[in-house]
Amino acid sequence: MADGVKSPPNGAGLRFKVRAPREFYGGLALIGVAIVAIWASGDLPGMHGFAFGPGTAPRLFAGLLALVGALVALSGLIFDGPPIDSFAIRGPAWVMLGILAFAGMIRGVHLSFMTIPPLGLIPSTFAAFMISIFGSSEMRWVESLIAAVAMTAFCVALFVYLLQLPFQLWPWY
Amino acid sequence: MSELLANLALGFSVAAHPYNIGFCLLGALVGTLVGVLPGIGTVATVAMLLPITFGLPPVGALIMLAGIYYGAQYGGSTTSVLVNIPGEAGSVVTCLDGHQMAKQGRAGAALAIAAIGSFFAGCVATVLVAALGTPLTSLALLFGPAEYFALMVLGLIFAVVLAKGSVLNAIAMILLGLLLSMIGSDLETGAGRMTFDIAELSDGIGFSNVAMGIFGFAEIIRNLEMSQESRDIVKGKIKGLMPTRQDLIDASGAIARGTVLGSLLGILPGGGAVVSSFAAYTFEKRISKHPERFGRGAIEGVAAPEAANNAAAQTSFIPLLTLGIPPNAVMALMVGAMTIHGIVPGPQVMTKQPELFWGMVASMWLGNLMLIIINLPLVGVWVSLLRVPYRLLYPSIIVFCCIGIYSINNSPTDVVISAIFGLVGYWLTKHDFEPAPLVLAFVLGPLMEENLRRAMLIARGDATVFITRPISGTLIALAAGLLVVAALPMIRRRRDEVFVE
Repeated sequence: MADGVKSPPNGAGLRFKVRAPREFYGGLALIGVAIVAIWASGDLPGMHGFAFGPGTAPRLFAGLLALVGALVALSGLIFDGPPIDSFAIRGPAWVMLGILAFAGMIRGVHLSFMTIPPLGLIPSTFAAFMISIFGSSEMRWVESLIAAVAMTAFCVALFVYLLQLPFQLWPWY
Repeated sequence: MSELLANLALGFSVAAHPYNIGFCLLGALVGTLVGVLPGIGTVATVAMLLPITFGLPPVGALIMLAGIYYGAQYGGSTTSVLVNIPGEAGSVVTCLDGHQMAKQGRAGAALAIAAIGSFFAGCVATVLVAALGTPLTSLALLFGPAEYFALMVLGLIFAVVLAKGSVLNAIAMILLGLLLSMIGSDLETGAGRMTFDIAELSDGIGFSNVAMGIFGFAEIIRNLEMSQESRDIVKGKIKGLMPTRQDLIDASGAIARGTVLGSLLGILPGGGAVVSSFAAYTFEKRISKHPERFGRGAIEGVAAPEAANNAAAQTSFIPLLTLGIPPNAVMALMVGAMTIHGIVPGPQVMTKQPELFWGMVASMWLGNLMLIIINLPLVGVWVSLLRVPYRLLYPSIIVFCCIGIYSINNSPTDVVISAIFGLVGYWLTKHDFEPAPLVLAFVLGPLMEENLRRAMLIARGDATVFITRPISGTLIALAAGLLVVAALPMIRRRRDEVFVE
């Protein structure tokens, strides 16, 4: 059963017509999540006597999720539905990059191919703003830089001075 | 009665402490500030602002959150009236007549009536919360693990029924939420579950990370797809803030009816605020002598749903504070905040921390008052905020969220996790899966599992215990009945109509 589910979701080998792609592929993805969950909780002890083990509930709910996922996918074969909207690349990519930049810079990070030293709040906030702003096609340089500086100042004032949260502000301080 | 007064007096003595008033004011202000941004609903606002309350003492934090909640709701109706962009499902109906009034140059009257209606509803509902709190707490003592489990099932089924679109999809989201909540250490044995040997996951996924990702970041990514025009804002002048005498007379009946309807629906678990505003609007339209006025700027069409919305928002604190069960996504966020402050929501809050319980009840009323005092004069400011172009707004929101998430645990991993949930949320909406049931289930998950395990252990492995015990059996039967009703295709179609209207 697992093999049929993991087949690539382009419908190449399927005999059925996919009528509602949102439901069909959504359901398949849920089944995939359920299988991963069952596999990941497979080594946990299950029921002993009347008591639930740590693995009982995850496997129970993962099983139910697989079942409902299958029903959702099945409904995608039976009923007609709208096609899947195209996924935008630009917006999500820049937004994610901005968030990851913040996460990497604030405390520093060691990756296999690069090391970022802890840079502190001010550079991280400024960088996250300037990177994520590229997600919009209407970006303008001057106003963006001004807004980034203003927002950084606002955040420092709010989080550091008003709420007194302990932040490292600069790479050296 | 005297006990009620004594309790309320205790509450006001806590809430009226200058610090707490300050927190309430700040909360209402920031809540409106964020809630007024188009495309950001109440849930997203509360999720984004949750972290800034973590540094405060518990009472102050919860009072501030309550302020944020009301502010966000009021901000939502401001955008509905002025620019016809509902921040969330609940204010969709406010758009219908509110924006028409704004087009006729009566935006001030519409906003004032919304605020006055909300305030009146808030006053009534506050008394109701105070009056019903104690009796419902004693009801909670009758609840064993099986009953708690059954009640949570009922709450989740409510969330399924109210979700837009397919019932199956909503159930799938509930199960996904439950599954996600199980990542991390097992409650009883401490065994790491589904952690994939990632150290950061051994404590489980933080609730605010999920909420911020799925509601905040996903929302932004989705908004970026929209063209500039659909986000652009009508630039009108607001003249004459105060409603006329005739307006007040017209609206008074609608406000009273909306309050009653909203108070009743809000107590039910599963998101009463949304239904109540729809119900109040439909009801007003039905009993009106001139139903054709609705949709063309009828003041009752603004007053009734706003009053109902606010009353329901208030009374939805009842199941949370007495039974510890969040009835909707915003209350789920509240539970998250309480847990972070080491408070386990439930009947024991009222007995062990009366100043917290009654302080919060009193601060609800204060929050409403704040809204009237600060927001009516500030309408002009909110409108000018709407003129900030989205291309500058969204990076600000992202940065704000990043710092907020990071500051909870000083953990960069949390920021990465919420980024991942942002993508997950984006994917979910593309496949018509609504995220609200997922988040509710994610919060209820640990509580549900604990009660399920306990009930099964007490019943010596007999799963029929959920049906044979009277209270639990009734709740399960209710849940099953609701599910059948929701699943019937005919009723589903009618339900879609209600939400499209």
